[in-house]
Amino acid sequence: MSQVSDLLRRPWVRWLILLVVAVVLAVLPLMLPVFVNQTLTRIGVYAVAVLGLNIIMGYTGQIMLGQIFFLGVGAYVTAYGVVNDWNIVVIFIAACVIPALLGLIIAFAAARLGGLAIAMVTIALPIIGVPLAKRLSDLTGGSQGTSARFSSAPDWTGLYDDQWQYYVVIVIAAVAFALAYNLVRGKYGRAMRIVKENEAVARSMGISPYRYKVMAFTIAALFGGASGFLYMVAVQYTSPETMAFHHSISLLAAMVVGGAASIAGSLIGGIYYVLVPQVTNAIDPTITAISQGVILVAVLFLLPGGLVSLPRVIRRIFRRRSGGTDQTPSPQPTPPATQAEGSETERQA
Amino acid sequence: MGTFIQLVVDGLSTGSIYAALALAIVLVNQSTGLINFAQGAMAVFSAYIAYVFVGWGVPTILAILISLIISFVIGAVVERLLIRRFEGGDPDTAVVVTIGLLTLFTGICGWLWGYNNRQFPSLFPLDTINVFGAVISVRSLGTIAVLVAIMLLLQLLFIGTKLGLALRAVSFNPTSAALSGLPVGRLLMVGWGLAAALGAVAGALVAPQLTLTPTMMDTALVYALAAVIIGGLNSPIGAVVAAWGIGVLENLGAVYVPFIGHDLKIAVPFIILFVVLLLRPQGLFGRKVVVRV
Amino acid sequence: MNMRKNLKGAVGLVAMASAVALILSGCARGGDSGNEGDNGETTASPGITDTTLTFGITTPLTGATAGPGNCTADGAIAYFGVKNAEGGITFGDGKTRTIEIKTYDDQYDPQKALANFQQMVAEGVFAGGIGLGTPTNRAWREAAIDEGFPQVLAQTGDPLFSNREESPWQLGFVATYPQEGRAFGEALVASGEPHKVAILSQNDDYGEGYVEGFKEAIADNPDIEIVGELTYEATDTSVDAQLTELAGTGADVFFNAMSITPLVIAALQKSQQLGWLPSWFLPSNTSSPVAILEPGGGSAFPGIYTVAFSEAAASPAFQESEEGKVFMEALAEYTNQDGIPGFPHCVWSWIAAATLEQAFQNMTEPTRESFMEALLNISDFDAPFMLPGAAIDTTQDGIPAVSEVVVQKYNGKGYESIEAVG
Repeated sequence: MSQVSDLLRRPWVRWLILLVVAVVLAVLPLMLPVFVNQTLTRIGVYAVAVLGLNIIMGYTGQIMLGQIFFLGVGAYVTAYGVVNDWNIVVIFIAACVIPALLGLIIAFAAARLGGLAIAMVTIALPIIGVPLAKRLSDLTGGSQGTSARFSSAPDWTGLYDDQWQYYVVIVIAAVAFALAYNLVRGKYGRAMRIVKENEAVARSMGISPYRYKVMAFTIAALFGGASGFLYMVAVQYTSPETMAFHHSISLLAAMVVGGAASIAGSLIGGIYYVLVPQVTNAIDPTITAISQGVILVAVLFLLPGGLVSLPRVIRRIFRRRSGGTDQTPSPQPTPPATQAEGSETERQA
Repeated sequence: MGTFIQLVVDGLSTGSIYAALALAIVLVNQSTGLINFAQGAMAVFSAYIAYVFVGWGVPTILAILISLIISFVIGAVVERLLIRRFEGGDPDTAVVVTIGLLTLFTGICGWLWGYNNRQFPSLFPLDTINVFGAVISVRSLGTIAVLVAIMLLLQLLFIGTKLGLALRAVSFNPTSAALSGLPVGRLLMVGWGLAAALGAVAGALVAPQLTLTPTMMDTALVYALAAVIIGGLNSPIGAVVAAWGIGVLENLGAVYVPFIGHDLKIAVPFIILFVVLLLRPQGLFGRKVVVRV
Repeated sequence: MNMRKNLKGAVGLVAMASAVALILSGCARGGDSGNEGDNGETTASPGITDTTLTFGITTPLTGATAGPGNCTADGAIAYFGVKNAEGGITFGDGKTRTIEIKTYDDQYDPQKALANFQQMVAEGVFAGGIGLGTPTNRAWREAAIDEGFPQVLAQTGDPLFSNREESPWQLGFVATYPQEGRAFGEALVASGEPHKVAILSQNDDYGEGYVEGFKEAIADNPDIEIVGELTYEATDTSVDAQLTELAGTGADVFFNAMSITPLVIAALQKSQQLGWLPSWFLPSNTSSPVAILEPGGGSAFPGIYTVAFSEAAASPAFQESEEGKVFMEALAEYTNQDGIPGFPHCVWSWIAAATLEQAFQNMTEPTRESFMEALLNISDFDAPFMLPGAAIDTTQDGIPAVSEVVVQKYNGKGYESIEAVG
């Protein structure tokens, strides 16, 4: 094992890295161009959505194709609250709690029914959600959508709008990631993994698959709702298109490309979701579908475990090359979650 | 009463569109254990190939046959070069690769042939027949007939032939199948090739009505997935019956339950699905799968 | 020994992080436009130099709406391709500039449309517009207002964009949906006879707008009765059930606010199969004789009416005209369009580009304000491909660039303008 890995196991080193990263993140937006901040903000939005998806699908192994529905509900709740002048904290809590409640109810019913039922119910959510959003036009603004301008920087901060939005999103996203990290590292995370592996085994160990599926689903919905709030902070407009089914498929793809069952993978998934359309636009706007398809297939072909497995793969290649002695050029200090993941037991294939 | 019958007949006709794709999805699942999200897009690509041949003066039925053969090859090649790598691993990864294929095939169709709606020649004339007071077009009847034929063929293939047995064995337990001497690799390719060929037929059947565009099958795909899951992932008959059921119940729900109306009628099949799964978790026609610890 | 190694490692990490921070601080946060308000004084707005001007179009170039979406970009690209090849456009300030069109694919996703707008600002684009879709245009409308960025000639019939007070930096291009619906309603009233009307509309702002305008026009007329009103989703594969239901109403006029080509064709066929032969109304973007009425069998009905403001590219008169030939050649040379376009948006985008040219020729300063002023003052403009009776006039509040539309009736081969139904 290299010196650096040894080094990184020490808790105080990890805290130092965390501190440095936090300082960098805090100072970054003051210096970066507006568009970069806006992109980073959007990455934060979708990273949280993918994180929620990872909890139910990556870690607990339940097929969930409705995450975009919870994002949409969170966004609509936020829009409604802004238009009706609720307090911003109340809006945020509502945007998290209402989707979570919906998720809880749905999970109660569906979790007993097995994987396929959950899959179909979750497909049904965005598909029914879109016409429902159009029909409930008093609440949602109908097919024209609702604009909710509320994330301009308040005067007392002296910040620009893009910086303020960035801070709001990054802070909430950081909290979400920290909570998720604690969740999956603790006993709940272990239980979820066992449920994913084999439900009969879980039951024999006294772990109720039903209870953990419901819990994971509700948490996923809660994160989805939070990401909906963040979506409104970044975009300040929502319409029924926000929760179209094909976005769920894109989120799933982003999760797998980033790295399923991985906290860092969720962040990479968010980066993938936001950056790939922008990159393919720059290549040639008329063939974005082809470019995106090629990128997706190529990434998975080279790294079936997702982009988060890149350090591991590089290490393996180098270890093979150098025939045993470890001369690995260790990767740059990435957020501590990655290092933590690396030291865990191998993620289930 | 006349309206009721007409709605049922309309529903069968719409449901046939979903059923055609559903059969291909069942086939891929039976032979490789994967759900292929790109099935619809591959079917569209096959339909475009047939369209190209028709444009060169080839008679329609021949063009469809040619596209069938080409699609078989494409399906087999895709399996061998691309999907093979993911078959033993995480099923989620494999599904996402098919999602990537979906994007890719749709993009290629758009790039090669543009996004204008193309008129695809119909195999059947546009006349109508009167059935119990309701009007049904010959084209719909023809589609249903072809569908039933394929469905029976597939059912026969899986239950009655050695090839079908071999395909199922390979997807169920590749190691045992290999140990028993089955050419696992080739069988996997055949499975995907057959599904792609089936998709070609589906595309040719529905293209006259939907007009040929790269995203022609996108909505049908979701319905087809629903039908496959309701009917049981491994039953061709179940998938077709479920697809018809979706089409008919949607229409009836929309017209006779004013609260639902035509915008929320899409909820009807899902509600029914939920009820079915509550009572029979493996779907209407599927078999229970036992997992040994 | 271990301690020293650890300390060295830790110091190394901190050093690396500080280096990263220092490098990034070099990425100066310059060009902060909009919030500072430093454009619009005597300096030029971003995106315009003495020789070029950049115009951005964010529109769906792939995905389900890519058919019309590509056309909205291609018409403008073709038009300015021709003008640039001729040497450019002479602006109101005397300089001759070429127009660079930048296109961005938003896949009909409002979030991506906003991202594209932010990218346009970052890339220093002068103005944007001509993009397709209500939600996609709405997504960046307020951001554009905040930024003082023109969002003009949007290809959406949403009336909000033409409301000068609410949307000071916007202008719609195509007639608003209520405008078109109202025009047909007025023609129906003008027939002087009683009618029973069945309505089938797309379940979004497009369909709702048409129906709203239509109902407004027939509101005070007791002879015209709506006997059935249904909707469908843009993603539906079939509208057979709706047709069956509406055929049972016995209406003699069928008002369609449908924008999906295969569904309109199927509806025409189904209607004949059911033996229901009312007069039809079709909106301007789905009434093409070649693409829709012929496959659908439109001649079987007593009358098919539409609202239009531009000539159809597929009509023989268009193909044989001088300007029509220029149009087709430009499409072939500068875009990926293959043959006669299947959507009217190609022609509409060409007309929009011609309108932009008018604005460019009249703007006296290289600023966005001057551009908007020029754009909102166009009248008496003899735009290419406009039908007699239709007009481009950007001076009226609440009305988009296309200010007048005409009602037309199918005559077996093409359309003729009429005053009243019947």
